[in-house]
Amino acid sequence: MPKIAVFIEQRDGEVKKVAWQMLGEARRIVDAAGGAGSEAVGVLLGAPGGNGDIAKHAGAHGAQKLFAARHELFKTYNAEAWATALVKFCHAQKPDLLLMGATAIGKDIGPKVAQRLGCACISDSIRITCEGGIVIRRPIFAGKCYVDVVPKTTPAIVGIRPNAFALTESPGAAAPEETFDPGVAGIDTKATVVEVQAAAGRKVELTEAEVIVSGGRGLKGPENYHLIEELAASLGAAAGASRAIVDAGWVDHSHQVGQTGKTVSPNVYIACGISGAIQHLAGMSSAKCIVAINKDPNAPIFKVADYGVVGDLFQILPAFKAEVEKLRG
Amino acid sequence: MKIAVCVKQVPDSETRINLKAPSPKLDESGFTRVLNPYDAFAVEEAVRIREKNAGTEITAITIGPDRVKETIKKDCLAVGCDKAVIVNDPALADADEAGIAAVLAAVLKRESYDLILTGKQAIDDDCAQVGVRIAEALGLPHVSVVVKLEFAGGGLTAHREIEGGIEVVQAKLPAVITCQKGLNEPRLPSLPNIMKAGAKPMQMLKCADLGMQPPARTYDVKLYSPPPARAACKVIKSEDDPAAAARELARLLHEEAKVI
Repeated sequence: MPKIAVFIEQRDGEVKKVAWQMLGEARRIVDAAGGAGSEAVGVLLGAPGGNGDIAKHAGAHGAQKLFAARHELFKTYNAEAWATALVKFCHAQKPDLLLMGATAIGKDIGPKVAQRLGCACISDSIRITCEGGIVIRRPIFAGKCYVDVVPKTTPAIVGIRPNAFALTESPGAAAPEETFDPGVAGIDTKATVVEVQAAAGRKVELTEAEVIVSGGRGLKGPENYHLIEELAASLGAAAGASRAIVDAGWVDHSHQVGQTGKTVSPNVYIACGISGAIQHLAGMSSAKCIVAINKDPNAPIFKVADYGVVGDLFQILPAFKAEVEKLRG
Repeated sequence: MKIAVCVKQVPDSETRINLKAPSPKLDESGFTRVLNPYDAFAVEEAVRIREKNAGTEITAITIGPDRVKETIKKDCLAVGCDKAVIVNDPALADADEAGIAAVLAAVLKRESYDLILTGKQAIDDDCAQVGVRIAEALGLPHVSVVVKLEFAGGGLTAHREIEGGIEVVQAKLPAVITCQKGLNEPRLPSLPNIMKAGAKPMQMLKCADLGMQPPARTYDVKLYSPPPARAACKVIKSEDDPAAAARELARLLHEEAKVI
């Protein structure tokens, strides 16, 4: 105890960064707890023939073993097939915890696996401790409060927020790989993905971004949102928006950060022309560093910001972008 | 067509969360309770489907104490649901997601619904589980985080939000859909409809009526805590020289915070 399994989520052969973050943390917990049977393992569902070096990466990120199932049904996401395989894995390997990234797939498959196993599912968690017993911390009320919970089932499915855990890598052997039969032959796949439509332009995803530049009503009009996009591009960042400008139709809802938008956990969140309504703060207050640029020195955003510039964003944003470009050479 | 909409009454998004001792306790005295915003998309979608399919019947289903009746009347029945089922059982006050899903599944099993709609998550616990758990409990296909929904030939096509785009998913009915912002614009109930809502049937049930014991919890809540306090803001004034302010900001973020 504890035996922690980590779901190595892949899309088109590319493993989600959160999987490596979770593996590193699982290994740290397991090494610290050190009881009999404690182990950090990865579980991968992949397309046939692919993913040759995942075992190597898994080892570098802390996995002591990699359980892999390969099947046509793992080429695209399918809730029935993927849940069937993960349930089979849990029955065979009996982990105490199965960690999954709080990604589109993770948030969809986690509750389904938990329901089928009759076990706990702890969503969007940010901390796991194992001193005597397992305690999991997660934000509720859009981050206005944290709750610590103790699972009562084995396993417990634990959804982990991207960037909650740091990415660490150490040179090491590839994790020994063990293949398992996912048991999906002949199942009714129920809901099937027929198409994946990528958003125009290869933009950085908000929920996974390390740097986010976000714009609000201070931009005055949709024709000025390019200032946000250009600064974001110069930083390799994702571009976000407050609810006000999404509701006004200046940008698509997929940009919205906040209680009825996306919850983000970047290293740095740069809020431009955003006053800082409680619902917006709820979506970004767990950012490690918050920067606010606003002409109103009394804007609530300055209460949560680590750095603030009081001034005209139409002058500051281009000047800041120039400084960023100088830094990045 | 028979549609069920599973909804939850939650504290509104303006609510400040105050902790009460001894932990774990929340001070609920200041809560203004509303229909979970994501469930409003579900109610609206049901009503729009009915506008295109005459003879569709919509049932709103919820779990909660007496106070939820107000939300059911104003935000479900007055907006267009035909009737409501409320499981009002004190033994469920402490139910977790697994327990809520078990009770809702038991209610849903009493009729043959063609479509079950619910919001993608409740804005109080943010778990985003119940819709998917219900589908699994009933053996039905589900699509979550749906921003567009169409029907054809006994099945549905749903557009679901994923990282960097949209997944287009097809499923046969009956199915469970969890609704995301952008699916539609919820209508506000008109005063005449709010008044008529009082006459629509609201059935009150207890666990015993569903032939079940209150479900056991799958996890225990040990502690509530406030988010960590943040250090005071370092303010850079810029009226005279925005370029200098920008330079200073870049320097601080690079050398001090080390984030760029």
